[in-house]
Amino acid sequence: MGVGIGLPTQVEVVTSAEGEVFDVELEVNILRENERLAKENRSRLEGKGVHAIDVMGSVGSGKTSLIKSMISQLKKDLRIAVIEGDVTTTIDSEIISSEGVPTVQVNTGKECHLDANLIRKALDRIPLDRLDLIFIENVGNLICPAEFPLGSDRRLVVISVTEGPYMVLKHPMMFRDAAVVAINKIDVAAAMGVDPDKLSADVARINPRAATVHTSCRNGTGIAEVIEKLGLKKR
Amino acid sequence: MHELAVATSLTEALLELVKEHSSSKVLEVHLKIGKLRVLSIDQLKFSYEILSKGTALEGSILQVEETPGYARCTNCNYTEKLEIDDLSFHFSLPQITCPRCGVNLILEGGDECLITRVRMIAPSATPVVSMNGHD
Repeated sequence: MGVGIGLPTQVEVVTSAEGEVFDVELEVNILRENERLAKENRSRLEGKGVHAIDVMGSVGSGKTSLIKSMISQLKKDLRIAVIEGDVTTTIDSEIISSEGVPTVQVNTGKECHLDANLIRKALDRIPLDRLDLIFIENVGNLICPAEFPLGSDRRLVVISVTEGPYMVLKHPMMFRDAAVVAINKIDVAAAMGVDPDKLSADVARINPRAATVHTSCRNGTGIAEVIEKLGLKKR
Repeated sequence: MHELAVATSLTEALLELVKEHSSSKVLEVHLKIGKLRVLSIDQLKFSYEILSKGTALEGSILQVEETPGYARCTNCNYTEKLEIDDLSFHFSLPQITCPRCGVNLILEGGDECLITRVRMIAPSATPVVSMNGHD
């Protein structure tokens, strides 16, 4: 009997029979699980009236030092907690906890970025009812964290003059969603032969909406301005 | 580096779909990925190949359509499709200015990351029924 090769004697509406090939048209966001969890984190934080700042930047750019400096200026007026992301070790959370604020270390193990699920778990361990602000320090990486929203409401990108004069131009994607960019270690800019104003101009060309601040955690330059630009003015 | 994480989400979503349709095997998977996503398609395919081993996805073809991003002027709203085919855009992006008014352009779109079509085999529950009506 003709088993369907050639001669179509009967035309039927195609419903997939057993063993037959069929197509499913859809529009599923591959990263939907992360995005769903990020939204969940966001509404959870908003529900408690807690601001969350996502801090991104290279290894050694000064993310932890900048967070620590901001906390020491803000902690009298705001109740703060920190989520520290790293591949391994608790070095950063130990540095931060010297400020006397609750700190959760998240070790990603083999992953190069934090994701919304890790943040969800970290939030379970933080007393959200008694907080105004959370800093989330991402893994020191310039590419991957940009693809994984966490549920924060603003992003701070930290770069340093020690990363060289072309740092911004080489990693434009990282600056696209930044609210504030701190150009750190300006106290050694001259020794590095790097012009921080040139770095600011590069940021302005990629993301004109971002505020750029020159900072030094060693001498305190610009810390108050970063706080102000992030909308974290002391009450 | 994060392609493995994306490929993991992809295989999870696909295996869910396979279950939903009681399929036994996936033949083709079509994706739409924006060119402004920081994703290496080659690495994504490589990760997918590894993760799909031993599942209903093994051996399936991953076809990726890359969708463009746009540059828009915040001043006059001039919009242009970005013709980006390689990583050299990383160097040119910061220098893109509006051809009409010289203001810096911002980038929009090009951030899709979607599964758009999946070709699979319907469940083959029983062998073909023999002509005389007996199994």
